[in-house]
Amino acid sequence: MNQIQQILKDRIIKLCSVMSVSGFEKRAKDTLYEKLGGDFDEIKTDPVGNHIFIKRCGKENAPLCLVDAHFDEVGMMVTDILDGGFLKFTQIGGLSLSVLQAADVIIYGRQTLRGVIISTPPHLRDGSDKLAAIEDLLIDTGYSKEALEEITPVGTPVGFAPVYREMLSGTLVGKSFDNKACGAVCAEAIASIDRSDLPCDVALMLSSFEETSRLGGVSSGVYSLEPDYAVVTDVNLARVPDTKKYETVPLFEGISIAFSTATDRALTLASEKLCKEKDIPHTMTAAPSSTGTNSPTVNLTGRGVPVVDIGLPLKNMHTYNETVSLDDAESLYRFIREFVMSKEIAEFFKKREEDIFNV
Amino acid sequence: MNIYSTLQKLCACPSISGREDNIRGLISEMILPFADEVRVDSLGNLIALKKGKSSEQRLMLCAHMDEIGFLVNFIEDDGSVRVAPIGGINFTASSYSCLISEKGVRGVLVPEGKVKAEDFKADKFYIDIGAKNKKDAERRVSIGDFFVAEGGIKKLMGKRIAGRPLDDRIGCAVLLSVAEALWTKELDADVYYVFSVQEEVGCRGSMTAAFAIAPTHSLCFDVTGTGDTLGASSMACKLGGGAAVKIKDSSVICSEEVVNTLCKLAKENKIPFQREILLYGGTDTSSMQLAGAGCLAGALSIPTRYIHSGVETCDLGDVEACASLAALFAENI
Repeated sequence: MNQIQQILKDRIIKLCSVMSVSGFEKRAKDTLYEKLGGDFDEIKTDPVGNHIFIKRCGKENAPLCLVDAHFDEVGMMVTDILDGGFLKFTQIGGLSLSVLQAADVIIYGRQTLRGVIISTPPHLRDGSDKLAAIEDLLIDTGYSKEALEEITPVGTPVGFAPVYREMLSGTLVGKSFDNKACGAVCAEAIASIDRSDLPCDVALMLSSFEETSRLGGVSSGVYSLEPDYAVVTDVNLARVPDTKKYETVPLFEGISIAFSTATDRALTLASEKLCKEKDIPHTMTAAPSSTGTNSPTVNLTGRGVPVVDIGLPLKNMHTYNETVSLDDAESLYRFIREFVMSKEIAEFFKKREEDIFNV
Repeated sequence: MNIYSTLQKLCACPSISGREDNIRGLISEMILPFADEVRVDSLGNLIALKKGKSSEQRLMLCAHMDEIGFLVNFIEDDGSVRVAPIGGINFTASSYSCLISEKGVRGVLVPEGKVKAEDFKADKFYIDIGAKNKKDAERRVSIGDFFVAEGGIKKLMGKRIAGRPLDDRIGCAVLLSVAEALWTKELDADVYYVFSVQEEVGCRGSMTAAFAIAPTHSLCFDVTGTGDTLGASSMACKLGGGAAVKIKDSSVICSEEVVNTLCKLAKENKIPFQREILLYGGTDTSSMQLAGAGCLAGALSIPTRYIHSGVETCDLGDVEACASLAALFAENI
């Protein structure tokens, strides 16, 4: 593992360990400001929980480039408190039932509690070959009902326990790489750039509500920022046996760049060209009508924003054992650096806006 | 304001999504004494404003005034009128009910013969308007006409009431009651009372209203389900349990600041409240939260049994709690 990968690994683990279940992104504000704030000129958190970090290039009339990575994560929420210290819960975002059974969880109430998911054992259940339904799962805390009513009222967020480890070839395993791994890498990439090398102002948006809202919190952030062009980064489904090659991307072979009707073709081609010129590992993919990320919203907010959709390959999406490669993380790091430093892209998309208004 | 008599008037006025003219006229008259300005936007939202000391903070209070119903899409040779649902129609709950069209034509909604209850769907139903044949029916009904189930409410025991469409005339009644309570008070923030259109077909009206107002804070007033009836799915919300402070529904996760403020105000002022998570169903809260640059969004729900039936059932104690808590929230911005 090289030095860059070591830095990325530390930053990824730090950010992914912070609780930011969709709807509770603002609770991460202090930690984020402390860890990232020093590298940026302006920081703010908007009403819907987008954390926005701006780095200025210091040039007049510079275009604004948006780098988006959603910062919310899938998780759970307490819906009822039962006798004996058990919590009923619902899922926030898409969780697979198969990973919930017996999972270690953290309950982020007035105190932070540990818990474990329990259910009627299959030995005592009809249809023992089937998974228990989410309505039949409970979180066991060891506390009394009365205590829990104080500490973890209905509406308290719950997340998987953050445990991180490394496997061979720089593969990192743990929770919430979707999509804070991209956020961590983008933050590090932008922080590493000397301001004099920037042809544009850069806004890093760690956006909210991607996992739970049709639009995503990103819409409000883009509406107020009015960027000239944007890159949306999100994790992408990595290839495993039995998946279709055209629906997945290989791990260890760099970032993915999606062609889609929901993104800007010129910016997508410019990004591909950049990767080729700078020898950045990448795979071109096709996401015909929608990318399944923030890109379509960014594209259509306000008067419209040219956007390119970049993916970081990831296995085991929405589980506590999400898996990414630090090689790929380094590719993303290098791409974001080159993208925001690209004079060609900055000038093209600034000029294009002017051309349109001069017609 | 007497909430029950206000509700009687509101529920007696048919107003399907997309055709809210009747109810808008009625509510404009009711809100006029308690607002500095009243206007209607291009979608048909009714927007009333009570000015505060400054416009820096803008609170948008919203309840939808449309209701679910039926759209005529075909007339059979025998004069039976076929319809498509507008909004989340439950055909089991709607079968054998009396309907009325926007032109005042009455009819009864019935399933075709031999159709089993489990097969109740739009294409198995027709409206019998009493016509002899197609030509006769066409004298009173055209394709594109709207029908709704007849409205009206009744008192049950104690503070409980039943009828339709409590979804969401009860939210409108809360808004009117809040407007009356706040009228004589001097507030820091501008308060907008928005009676929105087309909520039942995708929370549409509140989107444009919120975009125009650009609120800093918003509260939605709508019905929510309960878990307190025989055989109900589990839900920690009950009739008579007080104002339901929404944490989440399937369209939104409310801003934590708003949830915490509402719970704190309720506790301090001894207003009964409960924390609500609705697993199935969305509200205008979502479109207000993300309109334009976004705002701090929450909702006060009125626990309601048998939603989208002719016998929606509420507790007026909960309605009063919602109104008191909303007024306090406005005073504390």
